[in-house]
Amino acid sequence: MITIKNVTKEYAGKTAVKNLDLVVPDGKIFGFLGPNGAGKSTTIKMITGILPIDDGIITVNGYDIASQPIEAKKIFGYVPDSPDIFLRLKGIEYLNFIGDIFDIPKDTREEKIEDLTKSFGIYEALDDHIQTYSHGMRQKIVVSGVLLHDPDVWILDEPLSGLDPKSSYTLKEMMREHAAKGNTVFFSTHVLEVVEQLCDEVAIINKGKLQFRGNMKEMKEQFEADETLEKVFLELTSNE
Amino acid sequence: MNKTLRLIRTMLKMQYSLAGKSSGEKIGYVLLAIFLIPFSGIIISVLNAIVETLYDQLAPTGNENALLGLLFVGMTIVLLFVSLSSVLSSFYFAEDIEGFIPYPFHPYQLLAGKAAAPFINLYVTSGVLMVPILTLYGIHSGAGFTYYIFALLLFLVFPVIPFTMMAILLMFFMRFANIAKNKDRTKVFAGLLTFVFIIGFNVIIRLNQNPEQTAEGAAQLIEQQNGLLNVITGMIPTAYFSTMALQNAKGLNGLFFLMLMLAISAGAIFLFLTAGQKFYFKGVLGLTAGSTKKFDSGKVAKKIKSQPVFLALLLKELRIIFRTPTFFMQIVVQSLFGPVFLIVILVFESSSGSIGALGSMLEQFDGKAPLLLLFIFTLFILGVNPASYSSISRDGRSWPANLYLPVSAKTVIFSKVMTAWLINLLSIILLAVVGLTVVPMPPALFTAWIALTFLASWFTSLVGTALDLNDPKLNWTDEQEVFKSRFISLIALLIEMGTFGCIVLLLWNIDSLQSLWMTSLLLALLLGLAIVISHIVLQKLIRTKFLKTR
Ligand SMILES: Nc1ncnc2c1ncn2[C@@H]1O[C@H](COP(=O)(O)OP(=O)(O)OP(=O)(O)O)[C@@H](O)[C@H]1O
Ligand SMILES: [Mg+2]
Repeated sequence: MITIKNVTKEYAGKTAVKNLDLVVPDGKIFGFLGPNGAGKSTTIKMITGILPIDDGIITVNGYDIASQPIEAKKIFGYVPDSPDIFLRLKGIEYLNFIGDIFDIPKDTREEKIEDLTKSFGIYEALDDHIQTYSHGMRQKIVVSGVLLHDPDVWILDEPLSGLDPKSSYTLKEMMREHAAKGNTVFFSTHVLEVVEQLCDEVAIINKGKLQFRGNMKEMKEQFEADETLEKVFLELTSNE
Repeated sequence: MNKTLRLIRTMLKMQYSLAGKSSGEKIGYVLLAIFLIPFSGIIISVLNAIVETLYDQLAPTGNENALLGLLFVGMTIVLLFVSLSSVLSSFYFAEDIEGFIPYPFHPYQLLAGKAAAPFINLYVTSGVLMVPILTLYGIHSGAGFTYYIFALLLFLVFPVIPFTMMAILLMFFMRFANIAKNKDRTKVFAGLLTFVFIIGFNVIIRLNQNPEQTAEGAAQLIEQQNGLLNVITGMIPTAYFSTMALQNAKGLNGLFFLMLMLAISAGAIFLFLTAGQKFYFKGVLGLTAGSTKKFDSGKVAKKIKSQPVFLALLLKELRIIFRTPTFFMQIVVQSLFGPVFLIVILVFESSSGSIGALGSMLEQFDGKAPLLLLFIFTLFILGVNPASYSSISRDGRSWPANLYLPVSAKTVIFSKVMTAWLINLLSIILLAVVGLTVVPMPPALFTAWIALTFLASWFTSLVGTALDLNDPKLNWTDEQEVFKSRFISLIALLIEMGTFGCIVLLLWNIDSLQSLWMTSLLLALLLGLAIVISHIVLQKLIRTKFLKTR
């Protein structure tokens, strides 16, 4: 469970997130939507400890990210919006590095790396530098890193944007399974079809402010029932 | 032409623009300028003394122009080295070229743009030495107005030849490096090969000169006018032409040599652009591609091992340094330049027996003096430790991983300090080998020196890392930016040499302190103190800066 309480973030005078209150419950897939520059990545970076929080409190399964960072970080896995990290490491070295950081026993590591990378189809590239990977492959290696340490809370910033249909399907299945086991899955996206078929609950943010939070049914009920999700989204985010 | 100029301007702007620099950095520039004023005063007065003495000694036999010859020969060698590293990084390691390729530019236009930044380096380098020496020579020889005009023109064209020669050589080597499978490694290798090529070239020249003969000959040569100049500039005609132009600045003769220099430089530029048009794209396109090989089933088990977190972080740092061409050149090769140069010189000199004499001299003095000298010299070499002051900046866009992974800030930072220390170890081992073999050092001195060196290395690693953490550069698109136009290396050196320079001076002058062991103990204690203080400062920086760094 992630709780965001009255959180504000400013970038050099410009408010990116303003008084945000949000609870991401366990056992549900939670979608985080909003137009470009709405503050999604900023919020996610505050949850993960990358950006300091100006005002307010964020906890992950009860651990405050500001005051108990290490405990909190052991619980979640994060897929950043840009997967261009550790480019000079080989895929296998990156996964091994993650294994060391999260203290994963050697045999679990072996088994999971083989399973995960084979199901994403990057097994054969494991001995190459991440630099030589395509965008989607880089994303897959980062996702594999998260799944390798099997955290309770998944925080994914546009995880599906570069994936091919098969891998995208695999990841969505994994997200469903993970949530079904009573864990937290929190992800941002722009793809409304994904939201429609995957999310149990959504939050829509625009210009740093929360516009809507609820399940899909509530969202459609708030508008005329026959409207498409696209129209709803456009309406919710159009007000100046 | 217009477009080429636009291109040059854009490329320069991207590299040298002050925009986006933190105000701390801007203040740094100002502080540095202030620091440099007294410093340059000292340098100029030293140069003045040298020029005056040499001039007065050489002038009676009509050999004063050998001074100019020496300057131009020396400059050629220095400029060749500066060209090597800056051409390599600008033409081949900087990946910004990929951004320009899709636009309709000829290779020679891109090359002209890419040459601009190295040229600035070259002018800065030659400005430091050539401008004061040429001016001082002019003053001492009572030269007329045309001398200064000629000197200015020569200053402008002189870097052209070393630069173009080096660039053409590198383009040629790189064209073949690009065929190789592991390109990252090969492009570093091609750079090193060129370096070895130049050293080898120098060695051959040196070996061809029989020392006794030259000593004997020198006496005769001095008898005749220009005799010395002919020998000094023998291998480098442009140095000869430049000297003759300045020497005869009043006459038609001088004008002829100046014109010759201008013509040769123009020809060299033409040759460079032509060679570039032919070779550059073949060398650079696709150079960033890495090799890929298939990972076979069942190999996973062999590749996986559990390590403690600290070791995992350390290995990650070392891998990144050794695999990234720019980091490898700037950090590993650069820090070995000093020791390697020293070895080359020592090996040469040892053939004349003067080094053996140095060894026995050290033996005689077995008090504090040699230790203090060795210590300050080693501190200087270790102080130039790019691994430390790039600790944080190296991470670039991977930095946030340090923030979201569950590793304490202290572990992350100290794995980086340790990395810098380990890289220093390479230089220390080289120096130790010199101390044991080439210069036979007394064992007591050697032991004390090496022990102090280990401590000093930890100190410089701490200082560099702390400075980088204080004001890191993470938003780079190209690794060059981690090192370019940042004064952090100078600041690190100022801190380290400033404190220990004073301490060494103090110890030197305490008469009651003579024994080697007391001096080593005292230095070790002071280093210990410096290390404790740096630890405290670094810890404080970790608490205040780590989370704010991005
Ligand atoms: N490093 C930064 N410095 C200054 N402003 C920033 C920075 N990063 C983001 N912003 C600003 O913060 C606001 C929110 O950006 P954020 O990256 O959170 O958007 P987003 O919702 O993730 O958008 P997208 O859908 O494009 O990923 C934007 O107005 C952006 O201009
Ligand atoms: Mg975003």
